[in-house]
Amino acid sequence: MASSVTPQLNILPDAPALHWFTAPLDVDPVLGLALAMLIAVVVANALHRLLRLPRLVSHMLVGALASPPALGLLQRTDLDLWKPLIDLAIAVLVFELGSRLRPRWLLDNRWLALSCMLEALFAAAAAGTALVAMGAPLAAAVLAAAVAASTSPIIVIASVHDLRPRGQVSERLMMMCAMNSVLAMLAIKVWPLLGLAGQGTLVNDTWRWASSALFVFCGSFLLGLAGGWVLDWASRLSRHPASLSVLQLSLVMLSATLASYWALSPLLTLLIAGVTARSLMGQRLTVETGLGSAGAALTVLLFVCMGLLFTIDGWLQLWPWVLVLIGARFAGKALAVALLAWPSGLGWRQALALALALQPMSSLAVLLVLADFGWSSQLPGADATLLQALLVAGTLMQLSGPLWVQFALQRVAGECPKEPSHATG
Amino acid sequence: MPLDDFTTSAPLTMGVELELQLLDTLDLDLTPRAEDLLRLLQRHSGAWDVKPEITRSMIEIGTSVHRAHAPLRDELHDLCQQLSRGARKLNLCIGGGGTHPFQHWSEQQIFPSDRFHYISELYGYLAKQFTVFGQHVHIGVPSGDDALWLLHALSRYVPHFIALSASSPYVQGEDTGFHSARLNSVFAFPLAGRAPFVLGWDDFGLYFDKMTATGVVQSMKDFYWDIRPKPEFGTIELRVCDTPLTVDKAAALACYLQSLCRYLREERPFEPEEDDYMVYTFNRFQACRFGLDGEVVNPKTHERVKLRDDIMRTLARVAEHALDLQATAATDHIRDSLFGGNDASWLRECRRGGMSMPALVEASSARWMM
Repeated sequence: MASSVTPQLNILPDAPALHWFTAPLDVDPVLGLALAMLIAVVVANALHRLLRLPRLVSHMLVGALASPPALGLLQRTDLDLWKPLIDLAIAVLVFELGSRLRPRWLLDNRWLALSCMLEALFAAAAAGTALVAMGAPLAAAVLAAAVAASTSPIIVIASVHDLRPRGQVSERLMMMCAMNSVLAMLAIKVWPLLGLAGQGTLVNDTWRWASSALFVFCGSFLLGLAGGWVLDWASRLSRHPASLSVLQLSLVMLSATLASYWALSPLLTLLIAGVTARSLMGQRLTVETGLGSAGAALTVLLFVCMGLLFTIDGWLQLWPWVLVLIGARFAGKALAVALLAWPSGLGWRQALALALALQPMSSLAVLLVLADFGWSSQLPGADATLLQALLVAGTLMQLSGPLWVQFALQRVAGECPKEPSHATG
Repeated sequence: MPLDDFTTSAPLTMGVELELQLLDTLDLDLTPRAEDLLRLLQRHSGAWDVKPEITRSMIEIGTSVHRAHAPLRDELHDLCQQLSRGARKLNLCIGGGGTHPFQHWSEQQIFPSDRFHYISELYGYLAKQFTVFGQHVHIGVPSGDDALWLLHALSRYVPHFIALSASSPYVQGEDTGFHSARLNSVFAFPLAGRAPFVLGWDDFGLYFDKMTATGVVQSMKDFYWDIRPKPEFGTIELRVCDTPLTVDKAAALACYLQSLCRYLREERPFEPEEDDYMVYTFNRFQACRFGLDGEVVNPKTHERVKLRDDIMRTLARVAEHALDLQATAATDHIRDSLFGGNDASWLRECRRGGMSMPALVEASSARWMM
């Protein structure tokens, strides 16, 4: 885009103002992303007013339009520079998700605990079985199944911000989303074992990978506990209300960085930190992170970047795989939710809403175990075709994710307050 | 619709209704989950009843009919346990208190039923502002005439129940300065206040017919009086109490009323008169505003006396009747609360200790849940 404009501007090479004008069109990654964010906000509000389209969808669409396959305003490799900030945006949202959970609920309602486990397992089993039946290699199918088990915590929590629902479905959605993301993360951690099946070193490797997974689980758990405890302790020392959001942000950055540094799971660490902070601080912990406009900007940045990473390459060849993956995943989650709806205290309509709201798919479990956004290079042994099908399915279910959640919580469950007619977003 | 015949019921039997708050465990605001909890409690094992109220963040529970304090308290404990278990299963808290301290009325949702939609359309925003929580006590009476006599005789004691049960000092995030601000919401309704001074059931029937002919009322439910006859139950219903923060207090209030009714019926210390109502709204205001420290005026002697002292004297007068009714534990509870302060005082004490509003709701919910 930049090269097509520059020759025309060279017609007047001595004009200083136009020299100044040419600079931004060189599309510096920082300026390009800032421009994309600005457009995303304006477009999102307009489409929300006109079509009630969730703002998050518009943010992702603008990101997708700026990506190389579309307008090419930004390159995907540009995002590697932004990864710390994107990680922070994710970390803030995951910490908030943790702070909204009350683990005691799983003891008060054992059927709910079982339901949380089963919906992840059924979705994974359904997706994996369907892919193997279509001829996919077992190892690759298991990886796809692990990813299919999870629901995107980012889309869920950002949608909760947007819709402000109150009710059983939204609370169960957050609980299940946290549980299935952790299960998916653990599954991906031990997934390489499958690639070693049949090799002579399997026993030794099994021990190595199992101990590694245990280290990751326990280490993340302890680090999260420590993070929550430190936030409680620091907030008691610094009683000024305005300082709490700064403390929260610092704690989130510290926990996420340490988790990465020690090769732990930032996802689990931040969830546990949020849960611990909530149980220790109670009402002293603000529900949302209180980052105000900075937090909102981080969320827009995150969703624009998610859009930039979207891919539908190979859709024409891969669509049967993609549809089977999405369909099997839906069936697995819906079946588990429906089976345990009544004993766990959920009505049928609410069960339907929950099954729909669980559909936004997540690549987060994978992204958080990687150093950059180059999936395939970091998952050696994964079948490239199936991985691409997984990415396309992820693209579709992330882009449509806010729509699923909005439809489920607003229309089916009726848990969202009516928006005032003058809403401007 | 004509007035129902008055059903005969055993004198001095009693039943309690409590309107309760459904609270979000995260931010302790009211949460519209009545349908979920009602569905879960469909198969509860008690003789008590649970039903919806005007907004989706409320439920109402009603005990079975009782004669004595201990079984009433036991049933309230059972109800409280089952309700708490159900609430925890749904990630909810349940709380007492006459108002929720910081809920916003405009965020409340009308419960989907014909009756509540009718009220909502008739009263507009008042219906949502009616998200307040009261305790109603029914006392059995053998006839309509007895009901009306007792209803008017009790009018002098209405401030006792307001002050003792007061638990609604905070509204929309502010300290109102009142001990019971709930009754200000009730008073906004056009048919609130006191019943007309009519002592015969036939005369009351004529009054009711005239009112229905105007189209202003359709049934007895449309009267929001402080005490009203309930012909289908064969009771009078005292409606001025805030929902207390504990079920023990709720049982004690009911039995104090039962003892007082026995005292009035058996000793007939005075005959009710229309003039009793000259000071009624003043005394009522004093109880709402100042609680147990309010001053009330005796309509006969014109003597001014602190409510706390008036209740002490009344407790002494009803002591024998409480003994006969096996309600001394209840009257002892009432006596203790005269010195310990009402629930509104407890809530203010917590706030003075630095509790935030959500933490205050959490603490009061912890007192209610078992």
